[in-house]
Amino acid sequence: MAYQMYRSTTLGDALQKTLDELIQEGHISPPLALRVMTTFDKAINKALSQRAKNKITFKASKLKTYRFCDNVWTFMMEDVEFRDSTKPFEGTIDRVKFVACDGRAAGQTH
Amino acid sequence: MDQFGSPAQPTSVITAIGHTGPSSMMGHMGPGSVLGGAGPSSMMGMGPGSVLSSHNGPHSNMMHSISHHGPGSVVNLGGNPGSVMNPGSVMNPGSVMNADLMSGAPMSVGPPTNLQIPMTPLMRDAHMGERSHHHDHYPHSVPSNIHAVQPFTPASAADIPQPQLQNIVSTVNLGVHLDLKNIALRARNAEYNPKRFAAVIMRIRDPRTTALIFSSGKMVCTGAKSEEASRLAARKYARIVQKLGFDAKFTEFKVQNMVGSCDVKFPIQLEGLCLTHAQFSTYEPELFPGLIYRMVKPRVVLLIFVSGKVVITGAKFKREIDDAFHQIYPILKGFKK
Repeated sequence: MAYQMYRSTTLGDALQKTLDELIQEGHISPPLALRVMTTFDKAINKALSQRAKNKITFKASKLKTYRFCDNVWTFMMEDVEFRDSTKPFEGTIDRVKFVACDGRAAGQTH
Repeated sequence: MDQFGSPAQPTSVITAIGHTGPSSMMGHMGPGSVLGGAGPSSMMGMGPGSVLSSHNGPHSNMMHSISHHGPGSVVNLGGNPGSVMNPGSVMNPGSVMNADLMSGAPMSVGPPTNLQIPMTPLMRDAHMGERSHHHDHYPHSVPSNIHAVQPFTPASAADIPQPQLQNIVSTVNLGVHLDLKNIALRARNAEYNPKRFAAVIMRIRDPRTTALIFSSGKMVCTGAKSEEASRLAARKYARIVQKLGFDAKFTEFKVQNMVGSCDVKFPIQLEGLCLTHAQFSTYEPELFPGLIYRMVKPRVVLLIFVSGKVVITGAKFKREIDDAFHQIYPILKGFKK
């Protein structure tokens, strides 16, 4: 099973809302919607690991807390600045929560 | 630099020696001393200005080292099997070595007979001091029943560096079985990877330490710079575990290891040290650049580097680190490059 964490991205969120509408209007059945979402999980995991070439970097002034449990790192960082190779985005963000999973485990099914 | 006759070291015997023989005094053992029933204090004057005073405990074999280092050279040691003066006094004719002994020390590494064979002083309470030629001494009594009269110039005493504690490892038993996954999920700054290591690794910022928390309820706290800090940190971890809903107690706190380090600020000739202290030394520069010196009393290990940096480990008490350093320092001075 691929990671489901990308369901909360803008793309995943939009897909979920669309499927909900279709269910409500009776166009598709809930099991079909579920299947679409699992396909989405697989597709986005594969796309991000193999096809995305863009890189962004970030820099924080402080790592407030961290956690490693169940092979997932969680970081709370303060004053984070994101930037791509050319310029920084927006400005610094007071507090950001990072969740990082093992990239190699993503494509595998277990 | 108050190692001489400091109240914190009630077991030490301080012997004071002046160039004028009769003014020399012998420290008396108080009731609290480890020497219980202090042995006969003997005192011998050797030649003009050179004084040798040895203080023997009931169990010690007499061993007199005679110094031939000219006027002003003073050697003062507790006779103990296997205890020998170091060559530092050869290099520094004005130096004084004050050492008392812990009676009944069974560890004998062969009775050395003269000063020219430097070996580790097997004395627990050895205190070295140096001074320049100094004809008068300052009475320096301490508020204990140990009367110490210690002549030394503060300037030269300040030259001896003091070891600094670098790390303390302590253990504590929380006395309750712990659900590590639960702790890892709820506590901050925790790592738990049971595939690699069967403990939660937790850190706090003050005192900056790391703890290993095991499911048995036992915990190891590392990284503190003092015994009090280690204890405080261990209590903080116990409190964190308590706040997560476990009935954690704070029992069996024990310091397991202390590491100290010091810089003697002169380069050391390790080959020579290894040859003369072969019994205690391991020096394999192809394997490790430092000389590993396994001191017998106190039972600690010293890593001595050419640069003059010394690491002392294996101690359970700060006192052992200080003692070890004060024993090794004059030896190192003898192997100054």
